Amino acid sequence: MTKNPLILDIKGNSLDDGPGIRTVIFFKGCPLDCVWCQNPESKRTVAEIAFDAKECIGCGRCLEVCPEGALSRENPFYIDRDACTLCFTCVEECPARALDRVGREMTVEDIVKAVVRDRPFFNTSGGGVTLSGGEPTLFPDFVSSLLQALKGERIHTIIETCGQFRPDTFESLMLPYLDAVYFDIKLMDARLHREYCGVSNETIVENFVRLKLLCAGRKVVLLPRVPLITGITERESNLAAIALFLKEQGAPRVQLLPYNPLWHDKTDKIGAANSLRQNAAMTTWLDKKRIEACREIFTRQGIEVV
Amino acid sequence: MATRSSSNILVHVLLRLMAALFMYRPSLKKYLKGTQGWINFSVGVRTETGSVEQAILFENGKVRVLPYIPPGTSVTLIFASDDDIKEMLRVPPNEVLNMLMKNRLRLDGNLGYVQLFNFFVSLLMSGKHQKMMDKQRKADVAERKKAACNMDPGLRREMAIRRSKRLKAKERDPGVKCLDDPYLPEYRLEDFPRLAEFLEIHHTVKPEICHERPALLTDWFIKNGFETDGEGKPWNPELRQGAALRYLMENRKPIIRKNDLIAGTTTTKEIGVVIYPDSHGTMIWGELKSVPGRTLNAYTISDESIASLHHHIFPYWTHRNFREWVRDNYAKPLSQILDERFAVYFLWKTASLSHTILDFPKVLALGMKGIIEEIRKEHTACGAADGEKKNTLQAMILCLEGVNAYAKNLSRQALEDSLKETDPVRRKELARLHEICAGVPENPATTLDEAVNAIWIVWVALHMENTNAGLSIGRLDQWLQPFFEADMAKLATDEARRDYVKRAVELVGCFYMKCTDHLPLVPDIGNYLFGGSSSDQAITLGGVRPDGGDAVCDMTYVCLKVTEILGIRDPNVNARFHPGVNSDAYLKRLCEVNYITAATPSMHNDKAVLASLEELHYAPEDARDWAATGCVEPTISGKHMGHTNCMMMNMVAALEMALNNGRHPLMKWDVGPKTGSVENGNFRTFDDFFNAFTTQFNFLIENAIELNNMLGKSHGELRPTPLLSSLLDGCITSGKDATKGGAKYNSSGAACIGLADVTDSLMAIKKLVFDEKKVAFADLKRAIDTNFSSDPALHAMVTKRVPLFGSGNDEALGMASRIAEFTHDRFFDHVNYRGGRYTAGFWSMSNHVAFGTLTGALPSGRLAGKPFTPGLTPQPHASKNLLDNIRDVSRLNPHHMNNNMAFNVKVVPGADDTHEEAIDHIYSYAKTYFDLGGMQMQFNVVTSDMLRDAMANPEYYRNLLVRISGYNAYFVTLNRDMQMELIERAEYGI
Repeated sequence: MTKNPLILDIKGNSLDDGPGIRTVIFFKGCPLDCVWCQNPESKRTVAEIAFDAKECIGCGRCLEVCPEGALSRENPFYIDRDACTLCFTCVEECPARALDRVGREMTVEDIVKAVVRDRPFFNTSGGGVTLSGGEPTLFPDFVSSLLQALKGERIHTIIETCGQFRPDTFESLMLPYLDAVYFDIKLMDARLHREYCGVSNETIVENFVRLKLLCAGRKVVLLPRVPLITGITERESNLAAIALFLKEQGAPRVQLLPYNPLWHDKTDKIGAANSLRQNAAMTTWLDKKRIEACREIFTRQGIEVV
Repeated sequence: MATRSSSNILVHVLLRLMAALFMYRPSLKKYLKGTQGWINFSVGVRTETGSVEQAILFENGKVRVLPYIPPGTSVTLIFASDDDIKEMLRVPPNEVLNMLMKNRLRLDGNLGYVQLFNFFVSLLMSGKHQKMMDKQRKADVAERKKAACNMDPGLRREMAIRRSKRLKAKERDPGVKCLDDPYLPEYRLEDFPRLAEFLEIHHTVKPEICHERPALLTDWFIKNGFETDGEGKPWNPELRQGAALRYLMENRKPIIRKNDLIAGTTTTKEIGVVIYPDSHGTMIWGELKSVPGRTLNAYTISDESIASLHHHIFPYWTHRNFREWVRDNYAKPLSQILDERFAVYFLWKTASLSHTILDFPKVLALGMKGIIEEIRKEHTACGAADGEKKNTLQAMILCLEGVNAYAKNLSRQALEDSLKETDPVRRKELARLHEICAGVPENPATTLDEAVNAIWIVWVALHMENTNAGLSIGRLDQWLQPFFEADMAKLATDEARRDYVKRAVELVGCFYMKCTDHLPLVPDIGNYLFGGSSSDQAITLGGVRPDGGDAVCDMTYVCLKVTEILGIRDPNVNARFHPGVNSDAYLKRLCEVNYITAATPSMHNDKAVLASLEELHYAPEDARDWAATGCVEPTISGKHMGHTNCMMMNMVAALEMALNNGRHPLMKWDVGPKTGSVENGNFRTFDDFFNAFTTQFNFLIENAIELNNMLGKSHGELRPTPLLSSLLDGCITSGKDATKGGAKYNSSGAACIGLADVTDSLMAIKKLVFDEKKVAFADLKRAIDTNFSSDPALHAMVTKRVPLFGSGNDEALGMASRIAEFTHDRFFDHVNYRGGRYTAGFWSMSNHVAFGTLTGALPSGRLAGKPFTPGLTPQPHASKNLLDNIRDVSRLNPHHMNNNMAFNVKVVPGADDTHEEAIDHIYSYAKTYFDLGGMQMQFNVVTSDMLRDAMANPEYYRNLLVRISGYNAYFVTLNRDMQMELIERAEYGI
């Protein structure tokens, strides 16, 4: 693949994606299709156009310039995505940045240049770069070059992955240049995994098992992470199964990612379907007591929750 | 003659009514007379158009109204229109001040008499005014509650939780000789009941106006003359001030506060407001009746004080103050008229010039006795032709003798108090104070408690001579460390040493609390201009010693402990961090104290500050002894008369004038040079417009400097400072007062306000009008003139499509640097009345809010009346990424900021962060910023939600400390605009 992947965002000053002050690179495109996806704009590998109704000042300039007549105030999503050819003329014209391009092609050099500015902060805080998404492992050659370049700059690297990757390419192209792998484990039941995430979890589980062995030899941190999705992954039976699995694998630590409902607006922006919006449990934060109970499921198995 | 309007009749009738009441009602008539005779003055009232013109004359107990304003009228109130007159009659006095600020009313003449006139009005109207103000306050409280009704009460526990945890030090700095764990984590406020009690007083006792100082001085001047002495010979000003100060010090009441370890007070009140009628004291005349009931920062005042100030003190000083001296001697210069319109600059010399730091090590090493000896030697060496020098030296001796006399009185008082004391522990303390004050400051100090008491007594005396605004203490840790070490060396057991450390914390804590025993006099207009500010007595910790070695020592950490457990706004604590010399453990402790107190100390990069001072050619060992004065400004301790906050300059006013061809829109005054019209297309390139901006800015700078120099002269005539001079290196040998250039180093420092707003506005013009040609300049101008209501799309474009300062954009950073360089160069070109250079800094006290309310919409998209950013802090929407802000600010050249800067960062700890994690994050930002060369940084570690809750429910947040721009204040004492500005600052999660 010669074409570079699309980058959603490079977010500096992140304190929640690994140790220290980190810069997170969000890749666009994911092999999974989780119904609760917190970054729905990161699912597809192609560029999209987003409309943020809150930012729109109603000046109407975009309506004038759209060559396809794809924009309409009558349309609840504003953009007729079948008619839109992604020429982005409206994005150029919008004074309020209510219309925006989702996904920009960047080269490895572009990314490294943007990230290197933050190195002084990495140095004082013990931080670095985290690759996230989307799913970075979808782009093994590109990510490999990027990681090598970052290592060339002596920058600490982490990858956040859903685990759905080809183990041989991951191990040969990415793992050698990583300091840590943050590995999501969502559902232990294969059927449920297919139902909620679009694919079975067999590859993911196998990859975790393999990686556990490999990382031990390489001093790479492997941190399993479990999103706590109300009524889906946070169910007692699922968490108990994950805890048991991690115990069997000898994983000392796990990170729990409590559900937050802030993503709903994002589906509107890109005109994506959202079946969970009407679900009351999915529009509220997971409460603190429940989070505490979830933690306990793991600590009971002797796994530290970080 | 202009046509008179119906308002003219109304004003005439009201003034006639006033005249009749004062003439015929004895309870009012008594106010026409002072101790020196009838108080004669006259006030004119007119409109700009002349539709109203009336005058009221108070003369020898008679009051007359004239239908015209006769020549020689003391002061005239000039209203923009008839409507403004009518409005003034309807609104409470604080709203009238707002009208004054907003230039709907201007004054021509002696401002003291306006205040006197207001006082007379308040005698007639005070009941009605109070009702209006109470109503206003109730409405205000209701609105605040409504604005923050759904706040989580858990927010109110946050600060207590932070105070409950403490780090342990991971290493000991080489200069720490005695402390086992320099962070002193074992101590909490509760371990010091004495300090807790003082803190409670500080937060609950309403300050009271004290007339002791002005009454004693006025007595002395009435008896001995001011311009001429008893024999009719012109006074030598230094000698006059020296003799008067000695009289004051000998006769003021020696007070030892209950349970205090330090003797002496600045006033006779628990918390006193000191009155300086020789500077801005008469500005409170109009509020003598209403000040206890005003909404913001009310004071108590006794009937005795009102009577003394009105009848005895103020009438004597109506012309003998800095402002009026300039008006009278320079015939109302333009530069002064500009100052008194509030919108373009504000000169602090009308209040004080004491933004400096004195030679306390000398006080401690030689005592007054040793210094007097030195002065005598110099005096003896004088030739017959050195009359002026002899007078100056003689004046210094009088002052120092006055200090000694006061200390003796304190010593006697301590003895008397101890004899009456029943508690044996306290009796012993008082006996010790008796001993201490008998010895110091006359003699050299030998112990820590002597040193602290000596500094305090001299501090009190300095405040009797000079206005309590920004006079600063300097490197307290360095001054005290030798005494701490010497005391420690005498102790034999570990237990004794532990007790002593605790005692040292308590003693320094008492010193901090002593500094809160006085407040500056803030007339109500000051609540809008400088809300919540105290005297700003800056203490500076850490950094390097004069020889370049690490200065962090035991007392650095003792002071930090005190800063942490008290969490008070004043002393304003500053910390120097010298990258490569000072330890990371020290920096981490600074961050911990910031986290626990939410806002202090402010942190400085020693290397950058020293680099900024290079061009001033201070000897390197002197430069390394710099300390912050007032807010953040560097002063060479004990050697430097730098009046580092001589003016607050509104850079944005120059931009507005450039956009309007020299006209200032709020003042509606074509006062600046004609630099071209936007509407007529006079600007063909961006540089054409940049030049228009710099031309207007230069015009303001020239005027402000002219006025500063005039005011400087007035200080030399009215209030030279022999005591202060005797403690500044150079004044004794030169025999010249500090107000006349006697100090070893001289400079004047400006605070330039609105750098980010000007930069972003110029970027909008450059990018959209000239580079990308997306909008015509005239269209942009039209949008600005309508506050963008005519073109919301353009408003969106300027706020979202222009790279801003703080966004990581090189061009925007270059623009900021270009403006900073121009500012620095123009100021530095000028030599002040003492022979020193003008320095430029980019910090704003609270004037980014006040100047903001007086400024229209800007090309940057900032709307009319909104605050500018504090100091040189980037706009909240410049970048979502704090690192961009930090990087851009760190890349500004320190050589353009030789009066320092203020970079505000508001950070919010994550809900799940531990004490250590939160501090680690703050530390990482600060450390990186300093590594990158950033000069100064100050944190607010609070959430906007907490601030909103505090706005609605101040009773839970009386001690919530916030950093404004350079100084600290309690959030609940701020005016609404300032509170909102803090809430709306960008907030970064950590």
